[in-house]
Amino acid sequence: MSLRDLLSPFYVWQRAFEKPYTTKRPTLDRPGAPAYRGFHINITETCVGCGSCHTICQNHAIDMVAVDEYVGRDGDSGLRPRFDYGRCCWCGLCVDICTAGSLRMSNEYAWISEDPGDFHFTAGIDDKPWQENALGYRRAEGYHLYPPKRITMPMLPVEESVNTFDEVVRGYDKEQAKKEADRCVECGICVATCPAHMDVPDYIHSIRDGDYEKGLQLMYRTNPFPATCGRICTRRCESVCPVGILGEPVAIRWLKRFIVDQVDKKDYPRILNEPIGESDFKVAIIGAGPGGLSAAYYLRQQGHAVTVYESRASAGGMLRYGVPSYRLPDVELDKDIEHILAIGVDIKYDTEIGRDISFETLLEDNDAIFMSTGLSVPSSMRIHGEDHPRVLSGLQVLADVASGRDPGIGKKIAVIGGGNVAMDAARVSRRLGADVTLLYRRRISDMPADDEEIDESQAEGVVIVQQAIPVEVLDADGTERVCIKWGEAKMVDDPKGGRPRPVLQEDRMHTETYDCIISAIGQSSDLGYLSSEVQDQLAIEWGRFKPVEYQHTMMEKVFVGGDFANRTADAISAIEDGHHAARGINRFLNPDAFIKAEMQDE
Amino acid sequence: MNEKTLNTMLEKLKQEFDISDIVEHKPRLTTFTVSKQHAETLIRELRDREAYTHLNFMTCIDYIEDGIFSLVYMLHNYGKKHSLGVHVNISRNGEEVFSIHTLWAQAWTYQRELREMYGIRFTDSPRLDEDFCLEGWDQIPPMRREFDTKKFSHERFGHREGRSSEVPREHMKVQLYPNRGGDEE
Repeated sequence: MSLRDLLSPFYVWQRAFEKPYTTKRPTLDRPGAPAYRGFHINITETCVGCGSCHTICQNHAIDMVAVDEYVGRDGDSGLRPRFDYGRCCWCGLCVDICTAGSLRMSNEYAWISEDPGDFHFTAGIDDKPWQENALGYRRAEGYHLYPPKRITMPMLPVEESVNTFDEVVRGYDKEQAKKEADRCVECGICVATCPAHMDVPDYIHSIRDGDYEKGLQLMYRTNPFPATCGRICTRRCESVCPVGILGEPVAIRWLKRFIVDQVDKKDYPRILNEPIGESDFKVAIIGAGPGGLSAAYYLRQQGHAVTVYESRASAGGMLRYGVPSYRLPDVELDKDIEHILAIGVDIKYDTEIGRDISFETLLEDNDAIFMSTGLSVPSSMRIHGEDHPRVLSGLQVLADVASGRDPGIGKKIAVIGGGNVAMDAARVSRRLGADVTLLYRRRISDMPADDEEIDESQAEGVVIVQQAIPVEVLDADGTERVCIKWGEAKMVDDPKGGRPRPVLQEDRMHTETYDCIISAIGQSSDLGYLSSEVQDQLAIEWGRFKPVEYQHTMMEKVFVGGDFANRTADAISAIEDGHHAARGINRFLNPDAFIKAEMQDE
Repeated sequence: MNEKTLNTMLEKLKQEFDISDIVEHKPRLTTFTVSKQHAETLIRELRDREAYTHLNFMTCIDYIEDGIFSLVYMLHNYGKKHSLGVHVNISRNGEEVFSIHTLWAQAWTYQRELREMYGIRFTDSPRLDEDFCLEGWDQIPPMRREFDTKKFSHERFGHREGRSSEVPREHMKVQLYPNRGGDEE
């Protein structure tokens, strides 16, 4: 080795002080492309925890986990997606399917850690620097993995519907139903909101499979009125359907109806084939509405001898006497009721408790009683002159029409109210050939009636006058007419933040003459069949029962449910009350069995 | 490309090759469908007479519901800055297809990929059966829609310990209505 070789490293050092040939540049930040599919962002306030991202992920990279920040409530499971970056392939399907549009990807792609366990995080909950990133992959405007619009329901054209009591909604055919069912992401968020907790995703799935018998079986697990609810349900489920966040909710009600429409009534016993248990207990049910019959159906399956007492000539309660046949044809209601009776439920028509049999006798002769007598007394308008013979109640008009009687309304009428009974009364009156004006004290947007009912009423020619407060009923010329004096209302904001209040404007009064006025502003319960001692024992306060678990009242053997016992006052809630009371009555009658089972569970 | 020239050409192709489903997606992109029987001649004609000299790409769409694969040949005319997508529908059940590697040499690579991803055989396409990007693949071709990606991924790849997922519906039942719903009692 020469000396030069030994010294050569030092020659290099002498260069260290010279100007370098290369130029130094600062390390450049290399951001991902604007639509880069980088790390996930979730807007957790918008996310509803439907789990569609979890379901669609082809790599099992997403778990749905409970987080402290959210709890389950209507329309939100309270779960949020957690990502495992050991499995994610950045395909973006989770973003594309996200029903709420809350999930997106940032254009951030660098995350360095020596611990592989780190790459596992709950987007939007665990603090990450890219959560606020404005760039990254977003689902393109108008791009949906399922159609955002529901399949249009065939309806009778208005010019026909206004002249007939035939059903307005015609129902889906098989192809339409399958297409609509395909819009369901089967998340099951709706199940919690359905008062009866029906197996919605499962019966919708049965439509996709074309297995309508399975669908029927699933529906009867929680609801023995599917033909009815498939037509007139208040469908709270649809109001929380995640598909409805960016589009229209799945037509759950129409799909339920579709299944029932596919199955012939004569096949029900074979398909449903409910096992009937063994029991020596006797249960009496007062009222053959949806609540009473639902209780009867589930109680009978336990083997109890069930007798339903109904004051009218037919079963169904408000479903028969309150809901017009263009919304719920009798034949469809009968399809439900006949099956309930067919499993061995006894029913006594034209039998009124307190008149034909005393409540006390019933209590004596039975091991338990379920009362579901609904709201049958029309509420008063509390105005002068409302006892005029030409002021009719909406309930009475509907009951007359349902029973085939002429309600004698005349040709020019006014309906007072903004609920479904008011809409029904107005549309029935249109079908009877009357010109109908509907007066409502607040705005159309405040009406408790179903939006579809309001729209269809107007389409059928019902004239809605909003912010109209009835002040007085006056005699008109002749006994066949009546005058109403009403005043225009001004909407005044509630300083406490409640909904705006209508305030009468004394200087803006109108008086109009009609053939009759139909009052439909609400209804209350008639508990006249109960003695005051019984009423005391039931601890009824302000017309309401003190709530006890499983629909039990303060009286040992007595359970209640339906419109007079809940605040929602719709068919599906009554059905669930009946079902839940049946559970309660079983526990009450067989306490040992339940205590044993619960002890085994623990 | 002006509309008149395009329409004249499409009209001619309609007469000669019976093309159908003509869709003008945007001014520079039109697609149509042609039968397999006429496809090879048509594509050659487009290259040699209509100046669609460039093969942008070749791909396939699986229409499993209709039992067909739709092969797509995307051709480009540089002079007119216009692309034509030629759809050729074939049966999903192993129907063999002509090869266009004699028209564009690079096509053999696309065809090798399509064989690997969909299982489509192109007659006399070089090195067709060599692995493309899936090495040692032992399943049905993964782009066929009957391939269960989720199941494959679940079985093939390792799972992180301590992971668990809740079902929204069950989670809500436990939280909100434990004693209600369908009876298990």
